[in-house]
Amino acid sequence: MKANKKALLFFILPFGLLFAAFYLAPIGYAIKQSLYQVERKGTFGKAQEVFGGLAQYQRVFTDGPFWESIGRVLLFGVVQVPVMLGLALALALLLDSGLVKGRRFFRLAFFVPYAIPGVVAAIMWGFLYSPNLSPFTAVTSAADLLSADLVLWSMANVVTWVYVGYNMLIIYSSLLAIPQEVYEAAKIDGAGALRTAWSIKIPLVMPAIVLTTVFSIIGTLQLLAEPAVFRTFSSAVSSTYTPNLTVYSTSSIPNFNLAAAFSVVLAMATCLLSFAFLKLTQRGGDK
Amino acid sequence: MRMRSLSVVLASALALGACSSTDSSEGGDPAAAGNCAPSTGNVTLTYTTWIPGIDKVVKLWNDKNPNIQVKVQTGPNGNGGTYANFFNQIKAGNTPDLGHIEYDALPSFRVQDGLANLAGCGEVTAAKDQFVDWTWGQVTFGEQDSVYGVPQDAGPMALFYRKDLFEKNNIPVPTTWAEYAAAAEKVKAAGGYITNFSQSDINQFAGLSWQAGGRWFANDGAKWTVNLQDEGTTKVADYWQGLIDKKLVSSVPPWTTEWDNAYNKGNAWTWVSAVWGANSIISGAPDTKGKWAVAPMPQWTAGDAKAGNWGGSATAVFKNSKHPYEAAKFALWLNTSEEALTALNSEAQLYPATKAGAKLPALTEGVEFYGGQKIYDVFATASTQVAADFVWGPTMTSTYATASDGFKSAVSGSGTLLDALKTTQTKTVENLKSQSIPVAE
Repeated sequence: MKANKKALLFFILPFGLLFAAFYLAPIGYAIKQSLYQVERKGTFGKAQEVFGGLAQYQRVFTDGPFWESIGRVLLFGVVQVPVMLGLALALALLLDSGLVKGRRFFRLAFFVPYAIPGVVAAIMWGFLYSPNLSPFTAVTSAADLLSADLVLWSMANVVTWVYVGYNMLIIYSSLLAIPQEVYEAAKIDGAGALRTAWSIKIPLVMPAIVLTTVFSIIGTLQLLAEPAVFRTFSSAVSSTYTPNLTVYSTSSIPNFNLAAAFSVVLAMATCLLSFAFLKLTQRGGDK
Repeated sequence: MRMRSLSVVLASALALGACSSTDSSEGGDPAAAGNCAPSTGNVTLTYTTWIPGIDKVVKLWNDKNPNIQVKVQTGPNGNGGTYANFFNQIKAGNTPDLGHIEYDALPSFRVQDGLANLAGCGEVTAAKDQFVDWTWGQVTFGEQDSVYGVPQDAGPMALFYRKDLFEKNNIPVPTTWAEYAAAAEKVKAAGGYITNFSQSDINQFAGLSWQAGGRWFANDGAKWTVNLQDEGTTKVADYWQGLIDKKLVSSVPPWTTEWDNAYNKGNAWTWVSAVWGANSIISGAPDTKGKWAVAPMPQWTAGDAKAGNWGGSATAVFKNSKHPYEAAKFALWLNTSEEALTALNSEAQLYPATKAGAKLPALTEGVEFYGGQKIYDVFATASTQVAADFVWGPTMTSTYATASDGFKSAVSGSGTLLDALKTTQTKTVENLKSQSIPVAE
């Protein structure tokens, strides 16, 4: 028993330490920061941090642009996440169907965009979208992809391009885990390829789809690299375009206490949405 | 450990605050200015800047000063990210020894208590008379016993224009803003844009307002006053809004490849910019070599001789530095010695903040890229026409960000520049209050 405990400690300690140092401690620090405010005397007075209770949170909840940005990423998520996951599922099913030759090649090819750093991907797409630089002048002269109306969807395209392969891989590996007997049984019952996909594969990979959805919801609410890069390309992306960009701009002022409060609220909103989604899908499963 | 030392610092700050609470002086801490003692042994200093080619300039120093070695770290320009890094480093207590800070950002760093006061360094205060008066005013905030950096360069503004295109199309070089607007029509007719209205260079807009008599901030020692909607600023905003409405200016986001491309391909014909802009054109539009010239800034009233200023910076020593004496010594060499100023000019077209700097051989010669024109003569004159009483606010990062958000909307067709200034005014006051910096309503 004692040896067991030691072994347990040995295996948990490395993770536990890193988790505490790089996850729990920063969260704790952010919460602490968010409860303080600055006081000073005179035009160049020295700042003193004093306990401010929920003063920063009051600012957060009355900050119009911040809530607008939350609305913006929600709209983004409602459209982009289903499109991306639908594509990922379709690609995974295709790869799994046996219709495709060169399965290993395509598996890698779909995944390659994910290996490109997000900032690089955003810069590359930014160039493709820019009216005077894009090689696709027919498209960019017909529609300004960086205008206020379209830039959100231009970014959605970048995010989709980067993450489709990643999500596909998760769904695909879950498809591979389906036992052969299930397919044999389906065959005996006379199910064709489409019927198998619809009635067997999709229901069986549902947990993987739910997982990727939760990841995508989190990713959407925390959108930062794409809007930060597009800010330099487009007049339509403001310094408060997404919640995380607001956090970044606020901490660059620098107003660390308010930025911390923004972060905490954003984290709670993310948790809330992810759990709400999980609850919803679990209830659906019970029926 | 960090937490403990932090609390010690906090506690001592509290104690200091308690001691000085009877003192009516507003936050000034002259006692802190005393510490400028030389260190013993070899010293390595770190210096963060975004001056192109700075490593070559610093090498001149390092070769001659084996005991005081300077390590350069380069980053993006201040508002593009380096200031955000500095603020984080101040908070974390790991700033470099020296940093490149533009005059407009100095108050922000002073408010955050990040800068060393060099008033205790005799060599620095003795150098006062070497600098152009207004640049010295920027680093001292017009106070006795305050020196928060060594002035490095100035950004007097002038009009860069495509001489070849103006001549070919028989358009006279504008000397007033009215003529500039008239020229804009003709340039448009010839298939170009007179310039690109920058949606995010709010400091350029500040320079234009500065010329027109706008004064955004005032500090009477007890309170800040914010006035982004004064007569001069409103005049400038109305004027550019007019050009935007008539689509006489382009609005490509500045400092992008697309923007460079517009200048390189001859889509944009002029740029009202600072002296360091000479370098931006050379590097951004290499194909236009020999086709540019420089004229004085257009005036609001014909016959006037007023110039604005865009940029200009100081080399500041961070409070955190363990070697303020050596850091100040390097900063002085960098910004007053003939070899450093010559090198800074040839690498980055920096225009020295010293009086003697204007007479450097490099600054009296013609510049090949500009068709051999002695462009620095124009800037030397402009430098004397910059009003000395423009004051920067203590949260310029956020003022710029808000104004830029508004300007972006304006060039995308929703709202106007005036709307943007109105929002920026409200937001700036709000922001000062949220950091409990006293501000007049």
